[in-house]
Amino acid sequence: MKIKVYSTSTCPWCDKLKHWLKEHKIEFEDIDVSQNMEVAQEMVKKSGQMGVPVTEINDEIIVGFDINKLKKALKIK
Amino acid sequence: MQYDLIIIGAGPAGLASAIYATRYKLKTIVFGKELGGQAVHAYKIENYPGFKLISGQELMKKMQEQVKSLGIKISEEKVIDITKIKEKKEKNNFIVSTHNKKYEAKTIILALGTERKKLNLPNEDKFLGKGVSYCATCDTPFFKNKIVAVVGGSNAAVMSALLLAEYAKKVYVIYRGKELGAEPLRIEQLKKNKKIKIIYNTEIKAIQGKNFVESIMLNNKKSKENKKIVLQGVFIEIGFIPLSYLAKKLSIKTNKEGFILTNQLMETSIKGAFAAGDCIVKPLRQIITAASDGAIASYSAYSYLKEGE
Repeated sequence: MKIKVYSTSTCPWCDKLKHWLKEHKIEFEDIDVSQNMEVAQEMVKKSGQMGVPVTEINDEIIVGFDINKLKKALKIK
Repeated sequence: MQYDLIIIGAGPAGLASAIYATRYKLKTIVFGKELGGQAVHAYKIENYPGFKLISGQELMKKMQEQVKSLGIKISEEKVIDITKIKEKKEKNNFIVSTHNKKYEAKTIILALGTERKKLNLPNEDKFLGKGVSYCATCDTPFFKNKIVAVVGGSNAAVMSALLLAEYAKKVYVIYRGKELGAEPLRIEQLKKNKKIKIIYNTEIKAIQGKNFVESIMLNNKKSKENKKIVLQGVFIEIGFIPLSYLAKKLSIKTNKEGFILTNQLMETSIKGAFAAGDCIVKPLRQIITAASDGAIASYSAYSYLKEGE
């Protein structure tokens, strides 16, 4: 499973999300969109919006720290 | 399990309460869904003694670590109900319910905090994350070289504008009053910043666009003139409403807006129930005043428990 987290270093919800993933021992690629405008635009295109965090799990896009959606996509009970 | 004290809220008020509760050896648990509370959204804090400059996120992490190191559990379970046991005793305990469990406590501290006020414009929800934001700290990087507006005139609004000006091409501050309500030091920084333009006596009437925000319509309250501004982002910082839903469950007295009424000892209208932080009626809502309320509330809970012992 390939997991990407689009985040910024100043966003509290991103921090919570990443912490939650680590707690569940899930490896992910952390992408700081504030450092790279191209990936920021890529994230906007994929998610249709400009808020972080955005999690990409295979081809599924989850906006925000939405535990229920994340659990479902990651098959965590 | 029975507790001496249950603290509801894990922002500065709740966490300071917890630290003080350990000084008084009160058996305590903290409930907080949003660890750190609203304070985590402050990108720069320069007025909390002991830290010349720290981010809200960092400061709140430190407070949490301190609480946990003292052996107090912070549960992220959502509290859905609080009742007071009705017995013919002088001091009745409280029952705090989450979705899964019930907890009993001799005293409670409500450090419930606040949530962002909305403009209540028709397209506001539709454009959330598509140009409308309530968190400049979170979303600013997406507005590099763009034109944005901040609605509001408080400290939070001014701080957001200053942060946005680091990225955006132009920042409008739209305020319905004639004088900003922020700290003079911040206002000075705002006025010096060439990217920022302040528009007074003006309300935002509409947010327009197709898929993303493309413009806003403003109305000057004095001249009654409408003006359209083409932009890509609208940051709404028009204040907070108290999260006092749980206080209402206990029929605790609040003011018209729902802020909890307390006295100097942080006592509410219900015996054994105390309140602290942004959710109470007070003149200055800051991390330091929330922490101070929390300390006093724990002291008062302790005094209440000792009474008649």
